Amino acid sequence: MEVIKNIILTAFTSVIIENTIFSRALGTSTLIIVAKNRKNLFGFGLSVTYITAVVSVLTYFVQKIFRFDDNAYIYIPLVYILILGTVYILTLLCLWRFAVSLFVKIRKYIHVSAFNCAVLGSMLMISKYCETFTDYLVNGIGMGIGFILAVYMIAVIYDRIYSEKAPYAFRGYPLMMICIGILSMAFWGFSGHTLNY
Amino acid sequence: MEKETDLVKENSCKTIIFNALLKKNPILAGGMVVAPVVITVDSFPRALTLAAAFSVITFFTLLISSFVPKSIVYTVRIIMYAFIGALVYVPASIMLEYFMPDEINEMGIFFPLLIINSFIISRSEAIFFLESKGKMLLDIIFCIIGYDAAVILYGLIREIIGSGTFCGEIIGIPAVFSVFSEPAGGFLLLGIMAALLRVILLTVKKVRQK
Repeated sequence: MEVIKNIILTAFTSVIIENTIFSRALGTSTLIIVAKNRKNLFGFGLSVTYITAVVSVLTYFVQKIFRFDDNAYIYIPLVYILILGTVYILTLLCLWRFAVSLFVKIRKYIHVSAFNCAVLGSMLMISKYCETFTDYLVNGIGMGIGFILAVYMIAVIYDRIYSEKAPYAFRGYPLMMICIGILSMAFWGFSGHTLNY
Repeated sequence: MEKETDLVKENSCKTIIFNALLKKNPILAGGMVVAPVVITVDSFPRALTLAAAFSVITFFTLLISSFVPKSIVYTVRIIMYAFIGALVYVPASIMLEYFMPDEINEMGIFFPLLIINSFIISRSEAIFFLESKGKMLLDIIFCIIGYDAAVILYGLIREIIGSGTFCGEIIGIPAVFSVFSEPAGGFLLLGIMAALLRVILLTVKKVRQK
Protein backbone atom coordinates (compact mmCIF):
# COMPACT_ATOMS: atom_id res chain seq x y z
CA MET A 1 0.00 0.00 0.00
CA GLU A 2 2.81 2.37 0.94
CA VAL A 3 4.52 1.69 -2.40
CA ILE A 4 1.35 2.50 -4.37
CA LYS A 5 0.85 5.69 -2.36
CA ASN A 6 4.44 6.74 -3.11
CA ILE A 7 4.03 6.00 -6.82
CA ILE A 8 0.83 8.07 -7.01
CA LEU A 9 2.45 10.96 -5.12
CA THR A 10 5.57 10.88 -7.29
CA ALA A 11 3.47 10.75 -10.46
CA PHE A 12 1.28 13.66 -9.31
CA THR A 13 4.36 15.68 -8.40
CA SER A 14 6.12 15.11 -11.71
CA VAL A 15 3.01 15.69 -13.88
CA ILE A 16 1.41 18.62 -12.03
CA ILE A 17 3.48 20.23 -9.26
CA GLU A 18 6.81 20.03 -11.05
CA ASN A 19 5.36 20.16 -14.56
CA THR A 20 8.03 20.01 -17.26
CA ILE A 21 6.93 23.30 -18.87
CA PHE A 22 4.97 25.29 -16.29
CA SER A 23 7.29 24.72 -13.32
CA ARG A 24 10.66 23.91 -14.89
CA ALA A 25 10.31 25.56 -18.31
CA LEU A 26 12.04 22.52 -19.82
CA GLY A 27 11.24 22.16 -23.51
CA THR A 28 9.50 25.52 -23.91
CA SER A 29 11.21 26.11 -27.26
CA THR A 30 10.06 22.66 -28.41
CA LEU A 31 6.52 23.50 -27.30
CA ILE A 32 6.57 26.64 -29.45
CA ILE A 33 7.52 24.53 -32.50
CA VAL A 34 5.15 21.66 -31.76
CA ALA A 35 2.07 23.73 -30.90
CA LYS A 36 2.18 25.13 -34.45
CA ASN A 37 1.71 21.73 -36.06
CA ARG A 38 -1.22 20.24 -34.21
CA LYS A 39 -1.62 17.20 -36.45
CA ASN A 40 0.92 15.04 -34.64
CA LEU A 41 0.55 16.42 -31.13
CA PHE A 42 -0.43 13.15 -29.49
CA GLY A 43 2.14 11.14 -31.40
CA PHE A 44 4.81 13.67 -30.54
CA GLY A 45 3.83 13.68 -26.88
CA LEU A 46 3.86 9.88 -26.79
CA SER A 47 7.31 9.72 -28.36
CA VAL A 48 8.63 12.24 -25.79
CA THR A 49 7.10 10.13 -22.98
CA TYR A 50 8.55 6.94 -24.45
CA ILE A 51 12.01 8.47 -24.73
CA THR A 52 11.97 10.03 -21.22
CA ALA A 53 10.79 6.70 -19.77
CA VAL A 54 13.47 4.62 -21.52
CA VAL A 55 16.32 7.05 -20.87
CA SER A 56 15.38 7.45 -17.20
CA VAL A 57 15.63 3.68 -16.72
CA LEU A 58 19.05 3.72 -18.39
CA THR A 59 20.05 6.78 -16.35
CA TYR A 60 19.36 4.80 -13.18
CA PHE A 61 21.97 2.17 -14.13
CA VAL A 62 24.48 4.73 -15.41
CA GLN A 63 24.11 6.79 -12.25
CA LYS A 64 24.95 3.71 -10.17
CA ILE A 65 28.27 3.40 -12.00
CA PHE A 66 29.31 7.05 -11.79
CA ARG A 67 27.84 8.17 -8.46
CA PHE A 68 31.11 7.79 -6.53
CA ASP A 69 33.13 9.94 -8.93
CA ASP A 70 33.21 13.56 -7.73
CA ASN A 71 34.15 14.82 -11.18
CA ALA A 72 31.39 12.93 -12.95
CA TYR A 73 29.38 16.14 -13.44
CA ILE A 74 31.94 17.25 -16.04
CA TYR A 75 31.52 14.31 -18.39
CA ILE A 76 28.10 12.94 -17.41
CA PRO A 77 26.26 15.06 -20.06
CA LEU A 78 28.45 13.33 -22.66
CA VAL A 79 27.33 9.94 -21.32
CA TYR A 80 23.69 11.07 -21.37
CA ILE A 81 23.99 12.24 -24.97
CA LEU A 82 25.42 8.85 -25.91
CA ILE A 83 22.47 7.14 -24.17
CA LEU A 84 20.03 9.45 -25.92
CA GLY A 85 21.67 8.89 -29.30
CA THR A 86 21.66 5.12 -28.82
CA VAL A 87 17.98 5.05 -27.82
CA TYR A 88 17.13 7.31 -30.77
CA ILE A 89 18.98 5.15 -33.32
CA LEU A 90 17.73 1.84 -31.88
CA THR A 91 14.13 3.10 -31.84
CA LEU A 92 14.39 4.19 -35.47
CA LEU A 93 15.97 0.86 -36.46
CA CYS A 94 13.32 -1.17 -34.63
CA LEU A 95 10.52 0.83 -36.22
CA TRP A 96 12.11 0.57 -39.65
CA ARG A 97 12.41 -3.21 -39.24
CA PHE A 98 9.09 -4.04 -37.57
CA ALA A 99 6.65 -1.17 -38.15
CA VAL A 100 7.42 0.60 -41.42
CA SER A 101 4.20 2.64 -41.52
CA LEU A 102 4.84 3.98 -38.01
CA PHE A 103 8.49 4.65 -38.96
CA VAL A 104 7.39 6.78 -41.92
CA LYS A 105 4.97 8.71 -39.69
CA ILE A 106 7.28 9.23 -36.76
CA ARG A 107 10.61 9.98 -38.48
CA LYS A 108 9.48 13.53 -39.29
CA TYR A 109 9.45 14.55 -35.66
CA ILE A 110 11.26 11.92 -33.59
CA HIS A 111 14.53 13.90 -33.70
CA VAL A 112 12.75 16.88 -32.10
CA SER A 113 11.19 14.65 -29.46
CA ALA A 114 14.55 13.03 -28.61
CA PHE A 115 16.96 15.97 -28.68
CA ASN A 116 15.29 18.65 -26.65
CA CYS A 117 15.68 20.26 -23.23
CA ALA A 118 12.70 18.34 -21.82
CA VAL A 119 14.39 14.97 -22.34
CA LEU A 120 17.95 15.90 -21.33
CA GLY A 121 16.54 18.05 -18.52
CA SER A 122 14.52 15.11 -17.19
CA MET A 123 17.66 12.93 -17.23
CA LEU A 124 19.64 15.55 -15.33
CA MET A 125 16.82 16.25 -12.86
CA ILE A 126 16.05 12.61 -12.17
CA SER A 127 19.70 11.72 -11.60
CA LYS A 128 19.95 14.60 -9.13
CA TYR A 129 16.82 14.06 -7.06
CA CYS A 130 15.70 10.41 -7.42
CA GLU A 131 16.92 7.44 -5.40
CA THR A 132 15.06 4.23 -6.27
CA PHE A 133 14.39 2.55 -9.60
CA THR A 134 10.63 3.20 -9.22
CA ASP A 135 11.32 6.93 -8.67
CA TYR A 136 13.39 7.06 -11.86
CA LEU A 137 10.75 5.26 -13.93
CA VAL A 138 7.69 7.08 -12.54
CA ASN A 139 9.38 10.47 -12.85
CA GLY A 140 10.50 9.68 -16.39
CA ILE A 141 6.97 8.78 -17.47
CA GLY A 142 5.48 11.62 -15.39
CA MET A 143 7.67 14.26 -17.00
CA GLY A 144 6.64 13.04 -20.45
CA ILE A 145 2.94 13.11 -19.52
CA GLY A 146 3.42 16.57 -17.97
CA PHE A 147 4.89 17.71 -21.28
CA ILE A 148 1.88 16.30 -23.21
CA LEU A 149 -0.48 18.09 -20.80
CA ALA A 150 1.31 21.42 -21.30
CA VAL A 151 1.45 21.07 -25.09
CA TYR A 152 -2.28 20.27 -25.23
CA MET A 153 -3.19 23.25 -23.05
CA ILE A 154 -1.24 25.60 -25.32
CA ALA A 155 -2.52 23.93 -28.51
CA VAL A 156 -6.11 24.56 -27.38
CA ILE A 157 -5.54 28.32 -27.18
CA TYR A 158 -3.13 28.47 -30.13
CA ASP A 159 -5.70 29.94 -32.56
CA ARG A 160 -6.55 32.74 -30.15
CA ILE A 161 -2.88 33.50 -29.55
CA TYR A 162 -2.31 33.96 -33.29
CA SER A 163 -5.71 35.54 -33.93
CA GLU A 164 -5.98 38.81 -35.87
CA LYS A 165 -7.95 40.14 -32.92
CA ALA A 166 -4.86 40.05 -30.70
CA PRO A 167 -2.84 43.31 -30.77
CA TYR A 168 0.03 43.03 -33.25
CA ALA A 169 2.72 43.56 -30.60
CA PHE A 170 1.45 40.64 -28.54
CA ARG A 171 0.28 38.32 -31.33
CA GLY A 172 1.99 34.94 -31.39
CA TYR A 173 5.12 34.35 -29.34
CA PRO A 174 4.73 37.19 -26.75
CA LEU A 175 1.14 36.18 -25.99
CA MET A 176 2.16 32.53 -25.81
CA MET A 177 4.75 33.40 -23.14
CA ILE A 178 2.15 35.38 -21.21
CA CYS A 179 -0.34 32.47 -21.41
CA ILE A 180 2.35 30.02 -20.23
CA GLY A 181 3.10 32.48 -17.41
CA ILE A 182 -0.54 32.59 -16.32
CA LEU A 183 -0.85 28.79 -16.50
CA SER A 184 2.44 28.51 -14.65
CA MET A 185 0.96 30.67 -11.87
CA ALA A 186 -2.03 28.31 -11.66
CA PHE A 187 0.26 25.27 -11.45
CA TRP A 188 2.38 27.07 -8.88
CA GLY A 189 -0.71 27.09 -6.65
CA PHE A 190 -0.52 23.28 -6.41
CA SER A 191 2.68 23.56 -4.37
CA GLY A 192 0.77 25.52 -1.72
CA HIS A 193 0.49 29.16 -0.82
CA THR A 194 -0.16 30.43 2.70
CA LEU A 195 -1.46 33.88 3.52
CA ASN A 196 -0.58 35.55 6.80
CA TYR A 197 -3.61 36.61 8.85
CA MET B 1 14.03 34.64 -58.97
CA GLU B 2 12.22 36.54 -56.25
CA LYS B 3 13.28 33.94 -53.70
CA GLU B 4 16.92 34.29 -54.79
CA THR B 5 16.75 38.06 -54.37
CA ASP B 6 15.31 37.57 -50.91
CA LEU B 7 18.13 35.19 -50.05
CA VAL B 8 20.75 37.70 -51.20
CA LYS B 9 18.99 40.40 -49.17
CA GLU B 10 18.93 38.10 -46.12
CA ASN B 11 22.63 37.41 -46.57
CA SER B 12 23.92 41.00 -46.71
CA CYS B 13 26.12 41.79 -43.69
CA LYS B 14 23.93 44.66 -42.42
CA THR B 15 20.82 42.49 -42.61
CA ILE B 16 22.55 39.62 -40.85
CA ILE B 17 23.57 41.91 -37.98
CA PHE B 18 20.18 43.64 -37.76
CA ASN B 19 18.33 40.31 -37.81
CA ALA B 20 20.62 38.69 -35.27
CA LEU B 21 20.46 41.58 -32.82
CA LEU B 22 16.85 42.69 -33.16
CA LYS B 23 14.48 41.34 -35.79
CA LYS B 24 15.26 37.68 -35.19
CA ASN B 25 16.71 37.98 -31.69
CA PRO B 26 17.03 34.37 -30.49
CA ILE B 27 15.21 34.88 -27.20
CA LEU B 28 12.90 37.87 -27.76
CA ALA B 29 11.75 36.98 -31.26
CA GLY B 30 12.68 33.34 -31.78
CA GLY B 31 11.75 31.87 -28.40
CA MET B 32 14.98 29.89 -28.22
CA VAL B 33 16.81 28.78 -25.06
CA VAL B 34 13.93 29.93 -22.87
CA ALA B 35 14.31 27.47 -19.97
CA PRO B 36 17.62 28.72 -18.47
CA VAL B 37 16.45 32.33 -18.80
CA VAL B 38 13.09 31.85 -17.09
CA ILE B 39 14.39 29.62 -14.30
CA THR B 40 17.90 30.87 -13.50
CA VAL B 41 18.02 34.53 -14.54
CA ASP B 42 16.32 36.33 -11.66
CA SER B 43 19.14 38.82 -11.09
CA PHE B 44 21.76 40.80 -12.96
CA PRO B 45 24.77 38.67 -11.84
CA ARG B 46 22.95 35.48 -12.84
CA ALA B 47 22.18 37.01 -16.22
CA LEU B 48 25.91 37.63 -16.71
CA THR B 49 26.66 34.03 -15.76
CA LEU B 50 24.13 32.63 -18.24
CA ALA B 51 25.38 34.99 -20.95
CA ALA B 52 28.97 33.80 -20.42
CA ALA B 53 28.03 30.11 -20.30
CA PHE B 54 25.76 30.37 -23.34
CA SER B 55 28.33 32.31 -25.37
CA VAL B 56 31.19 29.88 -24.74
CA ILE B 57 29.21 26.67 -25.28
CA THR B 58 27.17 27.88 -28.25
CA PHE B 59 30.00 29.59 -30.15
CA PHE B 60 32.43 26.66 -30.03
CA THR B 61 29.72 24.05 -30.61
CA LEU B 62 28.47 25.86 -33.71
CA LEU B 63 31.99 26.52 -34.93
CA ILE B 64 32.90 22.83 -34.76
CA SER B 65 29.45 21.76 -36.03
CA SER B 66 29.99 23.83 -39.18
CA PHE B 67 32.54 21.22 -40.28
CA VAL B 68 29.94 18.43 -40.17
CA PRO B 69 29.29 17.65 -43.84
CA LYS B 70 25.78 18.03 -45.19
CA SER B 71 26.13 14.65 -46.92
CA ILE B 72 25.66 12.90 -43.58
CA VAL B 73 21.99 12.04 -43.03
CA TYR B 74 20.07 14.36 -40.71
CA THR B 75 19.36 11.50 -38.27
CA VAL B 76 23.08 11.15 -37.61
CA ARG B 77 23.88 14.86 -37.97
CA ILE B 78 21.62 15.81 -35.08
CA ILE B 79 23.36 13.28 -32.80
CA MET B 80 26.70 14.73 -33.88
CA TYR B 81 25.62 18.28 -32.96
CA ALA B 82 24.54 17.11 -29.50
CA PHE B 83 27.74 15.11 -29.10
CA ILE B 84 29.89 18.09 -30.11
CA GLY B 85 27.97 20.21 -27.60
CA ALA B 86 28.69 17.67 -24.86
CA LEU B 87 32.38 17.58 -25.83
CA VAL B 88 32.63 21.37 -25.75
CA TYR B 89 30.92 21.33 -22.36
CA VAL B 90 33.89 19.51 -20.75
CA PRO B 91 36.54 22.27 -21.18
CA ALA B 92 33.87 24.98 -20.93
CA SER B 93 32.68 23.77 -17.54
CA ILE B 94 36.27 23.48 -16.24
CA MET B 95 37.09 27.00 -17.47
CA LEU B 96 33.89 28.68 -16.27
CA GLU B 97 34.04 26.96 -12.88
CA TYR B 98 37.56 28.31 -12.48
CA PHE B 99 36.40 31.90 -13.03
CA MET B 100 32.90 31.81 -11.46
CA PRO B 101 32.52 28.64 -9.35
CA ASP B 102 29.55 29.74 -7.21
CA GLU B 103 27.60 31.30 -10.05
CA ILE B 104 27.96 28.22 -12.27
CA ASN B 105 26.99 25.99 -9.37
CA GLU B 106 23.83 28.07 -8.86
CA MET B 107 22.77 27.35 -12.44
CA GLY B 108 22.36 23.67 -11.51
CA ILE B 109 21.09 21.45 -14.33
CA PHE B 110 20.55 24.43 -16.61
CA PHE B 111 24.27 24.76 -17.28
CA PRO B 112 24.76 21.29 -18.83
CA LEU B 113 21.38 21.73 -20.51
CA LEU B 114 22.91 24.40 -22.74
CA ILE B 115 24.66 21.71 -24.80
CA ILE B 116 21.40 20.72 -26.46
CA ASN B 117 19.79 24.15 -26.72
CA SER B 118 17.38 24.86 -29.55
CA PHE B 119 19.60 27.65 -30.92
CA ILE B 120 22.46 25.21 -31.60
CA ILE B 121 20.12 22.72 -33.29
CA SER B 122 18.47 25.34 -35.51
CA ARG B 123 21.64 27.29 -36.37
CA SER B 124 23.68 24.17 -37.15
CA GLU B 125 21.24 23.48 -39.96
CA ALA B 126 20.70 27.10 -41.01
CA ILE B 127 24.41 27.73 -41.62
CA PHE B 128 24.30 25.40 -44.63
CA PHE B 129 22.24 28.05 -46.40
CA LEU B 130 24.64 30.93 -45.78
CA GLU B 131 27.09 31.88 -48.51
CA SER B 132 30.41 31.77 -46.71
CA LYS B 133 32.10 30.83 -43.45
CA GLY B 134 32.69 34.54 -42.78
CA LYS B 135 28.99 35.33 -42.94
CA MET B 136 28.24 32.26 -40.89
CA LEU B 137 30.64 33.49 -38.19
CA LEU B 138 29.13 36.97 -38.33
CA ASP B 139 25.66 35.51 -37.95
CA ILE B 140 26.64 33.31 -35.00
CA ILE B 141 28.57 36.07 -33.19
CA PHE B 142 25.80 38.65 -33.50
CA CYS B 143 23.08 36.15 -32.60
CA ILE B 144 25.03 35.35 -29.43
CA ILE B 145 25.52 39.06 -28.70
CA GLY B 146 21.79 39.64 -29.30
CA TYR B 147 20.89 36.81 -26.94
CA ASP B 148 23.34 37.97 -24.27
CA ALA B 149 22.16 41.58 -24.43
CA ALA B 150 18.52 40.53 -24.12
CA VAL B 151 19.31 38.20 -21.20
CA ILE B 152 21.29 40.88 -19.35
CA LEU B 153 18.50 43.43 -19.79
CA TYR B 154 15.97 40.81 -18.71
CA GLY B 155 18.00 39.94 -15.59
CA LEU B 156 18.37 43.62 -14.71
CA ILE B 157 14.63 44.35 -15.02
CA ARG B 158 13.65 41.13 -13.25
CA GLU B 159 15.93 41.82 -10.30
CA ILE B 160 14.64 45.38 -9.92
CA ILE B 161 10.92 44.59 -10.10
CA GLY B 162 11.10 41.12 -8.53
CA SER B 163 13.43 41.74 -5.60
CA GLY B 164 13.85 45.51 -5.48
CA THR B 165 17.62 45.17 -5.69
CA PHE B 166 20.46 45.77 -8.11
CA CYS B 167 23.37 43.32 -7.83
CA GLY B 168 22.06 42.38 -4.39
CA GLU B 169 21.94 45.99 -3.11
CA ILE B 170 18.50 47.32 -2.07
CA ILE B 171 17.58 50.29 -4.27
CA GLY B 172 14.38 51.24 -2.46
CA ILE B 173 11.73 51.11 -5.16
CA PRO B 174 8.18 51.65 -3.81
CA ALA B 175 6.68 48.30 -4.94
CA VAL B 176 8.24 44.87 -5.39
CA PHE B 177 6.39 42.08 -7.24
CA SER B 178 7.91 38.86 -5.97
CA VAL B 179 6.04 36.83 -8.61
CA PHE B 180 8.63 38.05 -11.12
CA SER B 181 11.29 36.07 -9.28
CA GLU B 182 9.27 32.88 -9.91
CA PRO B 183 9.07 30.98 -13.24
CA ALA B 184 5.53 32.33 -13.82
CA GLY B 185 6.75 35.91 -13.61
CA GLY B 186 9.73 34.99 -15.76
CA PHE B 187 7.42 33.90 -18.58
CA LEU B 188 5.28 37.03 -18.18
CA LEU B 189 8.29 39.35 -18.32
CA LEU B 190 9.66 37.54 -21.36
CA GLY B 191 6.31 37.96 -23.14
CA ILE B 192 6.16 41.66 -22.30
CA MET B 193 9.76 42.24 -23.46
CA ALA B 194 9.08 40.38 -26.70
CA ALA B 195 6.05 42.59 -27.31
CA LEU B 196 8.10 45.72 -26.57
CA LEU B 197 10.72 44.65 -29.10
CA ARG B 198 7.99 44.36 -31.72
CA VAL B 199 6.74 47.85 -30.91
CA ILE B 200 10.29 49.20 -31.26
CA LEU B 201 10.81 47.41 -34.58
CA LEU B 202 7.48 48.67 -35.87
CA THR B 203 8.31 52.24 -34.85
CA VAL B 204 11.73 52.02 -36.54
CA LYS B 205 10.05 50.71 -39.70
CA LYS B 206 7.52 53.57 -39.72
CA VAL B 207 10.23 56.19 -39.17
CA ARG B 208 12.30 54.74 -42.02
CA GLN B 209 9.29 54.75 -44.34
CA LYS B 210 8.60 58.41 -43.55
